[in-house]
Amino acid sequence: MTAEVLKYTREQVEALEIAPGTESEQLEGWIPELADEAELRQALEKAFGYRGDVTLTLKNGERIEAFIFDRRTGATLGDSWVHYFAPNAPEKRKVSYAEIARLEFTGKDRAAGKHWEDWVKKFNEKKAAGEKNIGLLPDVLD
Amino acid sequence: MAIPISQMWTVSTYVLKKKLSGNKRYPLVLMLEPLFRCNLACAGCGKVQYPPHILKKQLTPEECFAAVDECGAPMVSLPGGEPLLHPQIVEIVNGLIARKKYIYLCTNALELKRRLPEFTPSKYLTFSVHLDGQREHHDFSVCREGGYDIAVEGIKEAVKRGFRVTTNATFFDGTEPNSVRAFFDEVMAMGVEGIVLSPGYSYEKAPDQNRFMGRARVRRLFRAILSNRKPERKFNMSPLFLEFLMGDRNYDCIPWGMPAYNIFGWQRPCYLLQEGYANSYKELLEETKWEEYGVPSGNPKCANCMVSCGYEAPAVIDGFGTLKGFLGMVRGTFSRYPDAHALKLLDEAAPHGPSSLVQIEDPSHELEETRA
Repeated sequence: MTAEVLKYTREQVEALEIAPGTESEQLEGWIPELADEAELRQALEKAFGYRGDVTLTLKNGERIEAFIFDRRTGATLGDSWVHYFAPNAPEKRKVSYAEIARLEFTGKDRAAGKHWEDWVKKFNEKKAAGEKNIGLLPDVLD
Repeated sequence: MAIPISQMWTVSTYVLKKKLSGNKRYPLVLMLEPLFRCNLACAGCGKVQYPPHILKKQLTPEECFAAVDECGAPMVSLPGGEPLLHPQIVEIVNGLIARKKYIYLCTNALELKRRLPEFTPSKYLTFSVHLDGQREHHDFSVCREGGYDIAVEGIKEAVKRGFRVTTNATFFDGTEPNSVRAFFDEVMAMGVEGIVLSPGYSYEKAPDQNRFMGRARVRRLFRAILSNRKPERKFNMSPLFLEFLMGDRNYDCIPWGMPAYNIFGWQRPCYLLQEGYANSYKELLEETKWEEYGVPSGNPKCANCMVSCGYEAPAVIDGFGTLKGFLGMVRGTFSRYPDAHALKLLDEAAPHGPSSLVQIEDPSHELEETRA
């Protein structure tokens, strides 16, 4: 079975030895065309799953840097919203799909990298070099 | 069972009241994530990778109390991120104690010893310390040499000061069951109340997507590590849930039983999957399409999940809500689960170092221990 399988039977689930993973998309730097409503909806769905900031340009020209943490989709673009946090504002905000003219995946994808194998390689190299207290440090926040 | 009588009484009466009132969907444990910030950088973590401005955000004590009061669960788990990095965590904990909630503060314990004097021991407060195995395994798992020793120092100090302490471990593919059993003995010798454990969940955002065990492998691992128990080994979990992990029982996921709340809102549908947020627990219950999740739905995102946030609640409800479940729970509390086949599984699992992941699978025995 592969991750592309849409639905599993209970028997398939119970027999799984290794869970199929999710293939991550390279979205950092992407600027979708947004040629029609379907493309806009699809791109905003990807923005919702993206673990980095995006930049939204509204039809009135305003540019918003945002981390999109939710979206609510309705029948029309006017009934559909993205919910986001902006870096310099404490409160949750939302904007209608109908107001969005351009979307750019401008922020770093924070879910990319930090692979287990990279850590194993780094650990073994440092250990061989006689280093002590080997470890990975969290990213600096400021 | 390592859980105090008062806590069991609180949970059992809560479950019975819900049952008598005909309430079908209710929460048992609120997973309250006060922040996503962490002082570890575990390779493969799929939980807390966010831009810095999101990692700097945190729930206020008032937001935490509002969520707890709204959902009404008798137990609150405080995961994260690392809760001890929250500057108002003591105020949050004290507020929950005042509400008589049983709290599990999940911590990697890097800050535990330093911050312990700020807390007061209470039957309502348990420090649930993240330890993934013996020293070498844990340090390798959290990508920090020396992490185990710091955590153990925190555990010992907390035990000495009279706090309730458990350990919690997550196991991925390649876990060596003999080492895990030795680890159980080590932590029990530290004086902890019990052990909490879980198979890893295949987080969509985890950088590595090939270390997550499917159900057949999870059952084989947990049968190996949980059978033929020494009486000293105590588990701070429902015995029926442990039997589910071992393949002796089957439950369907009830994600509303352990809802998750964080800076984004009430997470849909559960602590593990991130498919949107509700503004209230009521909205979460009423507007989430629950039929799209769990094994019966066929949803591939639920395929490998045997995690407590979906499956411990039905085990607890079974244990306190039905006579058959209650008898099973009593039997499970005192059983040592003798199992010759599980001993064979242990013999087959060769010891190994942390950097060479061993597969415990033996194709010739595939699924034969599955009894669910």
